[in-house]
Amino acid sequence: MQPALLRYLRVITAEPEDVAGETWIQVVTGLRRFRGGEQDFRAWLFAIARNRAADAGRSRHRRPVVPLDMTEAAQHPTTADAADQALEAVSTQAAMELIKSLPREQAEIIMLRVVAGLDAGDVAKIVGKTPGAVRVAAHRGLRRLAGQVAQAGVTL
Amino acid sequence: MHDEMPGFFPGRPGGEHDEPLLDMILERRPIPPGASPEFHGLARMLAAVAGPAEPGDLAGQDAAQAAFARLASRPGTSHAALRSARRSLSERPARGRLPLAAALAVAAAGLGSTAAAFVGVLPSPIQHFAHDTIGAPPPPHGVSARPLTVASSPMPRHPRPSDTGSRRPAVSPDPVSDKTHRGPLSVHGRKAHGAVPGHASCIPALGQDDGGAAGDAQNSVWPSPAPNQVKPGATQSPTPSGPSQNRASAESLPWPLPSAMKGCPAGTTPYQETHASGR
Repeated sequence: MQPALLRYLRVITAEPEDVAGETWIQVVTGLRRFRGGEQDFRAWLFAIARNRAADAGRSRHRRPVVPLDMTEAAQHPTTADAADQALEAVSTQAAMELIKSLPREQAEIIMLRVVAGLDAGDVAKIVGKTPGAVRVAAHRGLRRLAGQVAQAGVTL
Repeated sequence: MHDEMPGFFPGRPGGEHDEPLLDMILERRPIPPGASPEFHGLARMLAAVAGPAEPGDLAGQDAAQAAFARLASRPGTSHAALRSARRSLSERPARGRLPLAAALAVAAAGLGSTAAAFVGVLPSPIQHFAHDTIGAPPPPHGVSARPLTVASSPMPRHPRPSDTGSRRPAVSPDPVSDKTHRGPLSVHGRKAHGAVPGHASCIPALGQDDGGAAGDAQNSVWPSPAPNQVKPGATQSPTPSGPSQNRASAESLPWPLPSAMKGCPAGTTPYQETHASGR
């Protein structure tokens, strides 16, 4: 799960490696209290990671967590360079950059759904929203990504 | 609702009609071939993001595993292990604690029997056994092994014919009837062997046992009857150690003798004394 965790943290924090380490330490210390299956462990792991990322952001005052709504996100269009780079290489890093260009909430929800493999209910618990709101945000983020693909004129 | 929306372009991003397709992409299911090329590109991109780890993703993994192994092997982690073990022990079902209770009962019974053996008030067979095994005082010479009829501990060991070496069988020779013995206060064949009606705590004195030969030697386990209770046919112990030993035994007991010792009719003696000494 470390690759998925690291990719998720790369989207939501500026110090993904440090936050990943803190996350695993907390997992180890709290593992005895954990009850559940693999899916529950995934949700627990990424919830810890999100909290640790928020702590890191608050402590360093670098990247305060400010959710952006769709209106604000529309005012910050993705650069063509990022889309082109991602679609040309179709590499993980380029795709990550493309997702990071999304509004933070959408990017985070897409990462939790796709990379972490969580369903809408688990993601809703992590981000503190309803499953319906999570679904809407994920759809909007995917449409935005698809629009960037269409803007780049790439056909696969 | 969807049909009423203007600017609706099926198969193109931006319309709400693509929600099932977007759900398929989110769940990483294969999308239909007829879907928009943008969706195909999006699906491939997300598959790359969710793909296997790249070399950079697992940087430092070996060092992290080594650090975790060191952390797990520290002695300080034993506290957590102890807490876990303590909790698991307390959460163990009652049947798991049954052996502990049995062990305590056996230990208590063994302790009482040991004390009785050193006081010297056990029946001869058991006193022999205690003498051989734990170095307790031997039974008086010339005293034959009187059949064991009083349980002296919650878990008595009933003498077998081979153990007693007695000239006569035990009062309850039937092993089946021996198995019916239960409880610390039960007396084998009390009714059949002369228990005094209305005096459940009294047992026949020496020589009063039915079928007991007059010449059957007195066993130190039985309390010595009062002189006026000794019938002419009853044989006193060949050695004075019997009564005196019994008195010494009674005096050496760390607990007071039960009040039930008083008031037994003539020819009987309170069996509680014997039982108490074996406690």
